[in-house]
Amino acid sequence: MVQAAPPAPVPSSAPGADRVRTDRTEPPERLREKRRADRRRRLTVLAFLSPWIIGFLVFTLYPIVNSLYWSFTVKRYGTPARWVGLANYELLFTNDDLLTSLGNTAYLAIFGMPVRIGIALLAASLLVRPRRGNGVYRVMFYVPSIVPAVASGALFFFLLKEGGPLSGLFNLFGAEAPLWFQDPRWAKPALIMVGTWALGDLMLILLAGLVDIPTSLYEAAELDGAGRWARFRHVTLPMISPVIFFVVLTGLIGVLQSFDQAYVFSQGAREGRLTGEPGGSLLTYAMLQLRLFQDGRIGFASAMAWVMFLITFVITMIMLATRRRWVHTANEEWA
Amino acid sequence: MSRSRRLLGVVGRHSVLIGLAVIFALPFFFMLLQSVTPIAEAKTSVLWPSSFDLGNYAEVFDRVPLARYIRNTLLVCALVVTGTIVSCVPVAYAFSHLRWRGRGVVFVLVLSTMMLPFQVLFVSQYEIFSNLGWLNTILPLVVPSFFADAFSIFLLRQFFLTLPAETLDAARADGASEFQVLTRIVVPMAKPGIMAVAIFQFLFAWSDFFGPNIYLSDEENLTLAVGLVRLNTAAARLGESNLTMAASVIFVMPLIVVFFFAQKVFIEGVTLTGTKG
Repeated sequence: MVQAAPPAPVPSSAPGADRVRTDRTEPPERLREKRRADRRRRLTVLAFLSPWIIGFLVFTLYPIVNSLYWSFTVKRYGTPARWVGLANYELLFTNDDLLTSLGNTAYLAIFGMPVRIGIALLAASLLVRPRRGNGVYRVMFYVPSIVPAVASGALFFFLLKEGGPLSGLFNLFGAEAPLWFQDPRWAKPALIMVGTWALGDLMLILLAGLVDIPTSLYEAAELDGAGRWARFRHVTLPMISPVIFFVVLTGLIGVLQSFDQAYVFSQGAREGRLTGEPGGSLLTYAMLQLRLFQDGRIGFASAMAWVMFLITFVITMIMLATRRRWVHTANEEWA
Repeated sequence: MSRSRRLLGVVGRHSVLIGLAVIFALPFFFMLLQSVTPIAEAKTSVLWPSSFDLGNYAEVFDRVPLARYIRNTLLVCALVVTGTIVSCVPVAYAFSHLRWRGRGVVFVLVLSTMMLPFQVLFVSQYEIFSNLGWLNTILPLVVPSFFADAFSIFLLRQFFLTLPAETLDAARADGASEFQVLTRIVVPMAKPGIMAVAIFQFLFAWSDFFGPNIYLSDEENLTLAVGLVRLNTAAARLGESNLTMAASVIFVMPLIVVFFFAQKVFIEGVTLTGTKG
């Protein structure tokens, strides 16, 4: 409600006290003025909110309703949608490409995230206590994460290519580098490598969490004779677990929507339709959705988008429901 | 014993840090090196070129309309930043310093739109822009930013909430309208926060590939991100990674420069929100 001045007190014995109180106590011209002021305030709020209201209606709500409807139809741009019920969703779970893309995305989440989080945690824990030179290291670890995904994709495409710098380094040690972009077994590890290079954001978030751990806990552990590993295992990990929970959750959602670097790699490996070369090994969920859109299969693409939302939603719910199991809280009552 | 163990710890810590730092810096090193490697050697697998050739930078401007890409990208960035600030500042003000019924509920609605994957929205947005005849123009990339995105509203609100309400009330008591309070008091006081949002939006618009990739098609309309991907694909066929790397340096350098000027904003922003925008 738009703020209103408190009504003037009215003696309960006054005639008409059961009616709207201000009617009696204020002269009509003041009352009118107040109403006008109220309306003006309401209009001010509306005017200030209007960019968001219009944007929400046009660019969010309308598209949501549309794509939800289209997901139950066969739809191409420029033609009316034809209702097919759940057919798109049924097709989704029997479609080979879709299962491949889900598999690839799960692979990237299961193998990529622990590597990323592990190395980010290692870097952060080495930088948590104030030491000279920390600033330089922090900048060096962070800068790769401001490189746009397509640029780091192009960069690693060059670094890892046959005869590129990395294979040169392999040769120095008398080893043979894998053919990252021809061998379906090695394409996803290459993708994980780029993602790991860009772990700066993650490191900063973990660092902020580590800084908050009271040093007294470490001192107490040390007095108890806990070594480096024991302190990490029994102090750092439990104390940092809420932050890890957060980065795992946002990381999972991010993997589901990611495709920039996979796009650069696979188009470099073989230009053309988004098939996730080599051999479908880079076909991520978001890439397949984009392909369906580009092929003009709008109903199917909409269904895929909503399944993506559903997966995000379910993952979030499962993680929140099981939060207590892997997030340490000082007092379980308050968890 | 304890001293030698501590020394071992210091040495161990530094060797891990230096090792990691080298691994993180090497890609940049090879990017710069390859960008000045003569074309003849770029096609072979030599690690260190016999001479440096800055001509790659000129060559890449000849090969693709890079000047156009830069111009388009800057235009998109400028409009996205302007649109975001102009639209999000009043909205964030209404969510922080105006009182109205339902404010809490509506704010939760704003935040919940951040949960929606972009994939759910763009399929239908594409049809809207197509009907408006905006395909192959930058309009679909910049017009939505004039209608307040949830992330920037959230960030600006956080900054606005730190401003003392008494100062604003004093101005109101002096007869200032809400618009005047916003433009004369809140905006000047919240400049660092507004700068932070502007920088995040710049970063996002400069780096974005998804939107430009689906909306722009003609060569001369592309942004740097899309141009780079196309160049990379073509260069992969021809083995001209020196050109891709020269273009990458041009693409990445401005961001690194911005980072060094606004380091504090970056680091605080990332830890504040957990994302980069």
